[in-house]
Amino acid sequence: MTVTEQEIVDYVARVRGALGDLPPAIRDELTEDLPEHFAVVAVESGGTLVERLGEPEAYAVELRIAAGVGAGRRPVTEELAAFVSRVHARLNTLDRQLGRSLGYPTVRAFLHLLTPGWWVLRGYLATMLLAVLTTGLNGGIGLLPRFEGNLLLGLMVLAALVVASVMLGRREARSRTWPGRLLVLGNLVLVGFGLAALVYLDDRRGGGDYYAPISVDSRYDHIRDVFVYDTEGQLVDYARLFDQNGDPIRLGYPDCDDVRDVINRDEIGSANPLLRGYPYCPEAAPFGPRPTTAASPPGLPAPPGTVRPDSVAPPTVPETSPAVPPAPPEAPPTSAPAPSVAPTG
Amino acid sequence: MDTTQLLKGVLDLAVLAVLREEDGYGYDILRRLRDAGLAEVGDASVYGTLRRLFAAGLLTTYVVPSESGPHRKYYSLNAAGRDQFARSGQLWRSFATTMDTLLDDRGRAA
Repeated sequence: MTVTEQEIVDYVARVRGALGDLPPAIRDELTEDLPEHFAVVAVESGGTLVERLGEPEAYAVELRIAAGVGAGRRPVTEELAAFVSRVHARLNTLDRQLGRSLGYPTVRAFLHLLTPGWWVLRGYLATMLLAVLTTGLNGGIGLLPRFEGNLLLGLMVLAALVVASVMLGRREARSRTWPGRLLVLGNLVLVGFGLAALVYLDDRRGGGDYYAPISVDSRYDHIRDVFVYDTEGQLVDYARLFDQNGDPIRLGYPDCDDVRDVINRDEIGSANPLLRGYPYCPEAAPFGPRPTTAASPPGLPAPPGTVRPDSVAPPTVPETSPAVPPAPPEAPPTSAPAPSVAPTG
Repeated sequence: MDTTQLLKGVLDLAVLAVLREEDGYGYDILRRLRDAGLAEVGDASVYGTLRRLFAAGLLTTYVVPSESGPHRKYYSLNAAGRDQFARSGQLWRSFATTMDTLLDDRGRAA
């Protein structure tokens, strides 16, 4: 046998495909016997099915005429149009169903009420786009338009463009010509810009805000670094300071020479060195002992009740040190257990 | 005008005629029509015609299994089919006579 099972299956599938516009019941009834019929054709004649019967699509046309089920195959454009109208009808149904749950006849009717709002938003987006195009992103975009930093000019342009957008919106319904299409394109550009700006602003919130609020006033401007010592007199590394609201307190700035080494050593990479914690420059600690590179704090604990001869230079209670910056009202929990561990001599 | 166009109108009658002689399955009916001289009839036309006549209640079917290979679905005329064949046959004969006369008259006139 030269005709395989698969060839028959494929041929039937293509015939059915060519009859795809028929109602399913009619198509099934018309084609249900085809596999068996083709199997008989295959055993009683030579050659492939296509050689014996012609292309499946031509077979379908002939079958359609002989069985008297509608005209010939519709052209592709018509099928596309039929598909579009089917989708359209489906959307219309959905439109009505969803609209009812909103309390409106259709979702479209509800959205139509929002169009003036869109016109205003469009004017705003156009202003912001203009501001970004003329000024660039150097200063970053905020929520108000600034032209080269000029807010007043930005607001004037905003007012003008919002009015223009509303006027345009009131005329828009009439224009179905190519300027109308241009307008649609412009709208899409503005929506795209708006979404991009949202993502941009959201990114900035995620990355930068962590150390942005500086809850310290100018009295502490002269402070360049913060050194925190525990009750053992050990310099605390990677210390972080917070105020009563949980906002990080930022003092000073890593301006020592080897700050790059510090950053590299801590594998912070190119991230904000401020995220590392205090001190920024451990080498510049005013009191010893300096933190060794290895894990030193658990390494040599002073036995309670003994005085370590070499390293007791700093006072055991850090609050008295003049180099320690103002501690926040609720500092990290290093200060609490001080009295019980303090050596009594 | 070729035979294909003429066939469209009379394929029903041709299939009924073949089945009146003897029951048959799709490909068998096609072969018998071709052997009878209707060389241009297509498989899909016969298959589609059989489906339509069956749906119209003129045919009955039964399946004959085969030891080796696919089973065959046989079609046979029922009473309605025989009735239909008789009427269609008469119609065709009178139509064909008319056409013959027409052609003969014209032929003589020419």
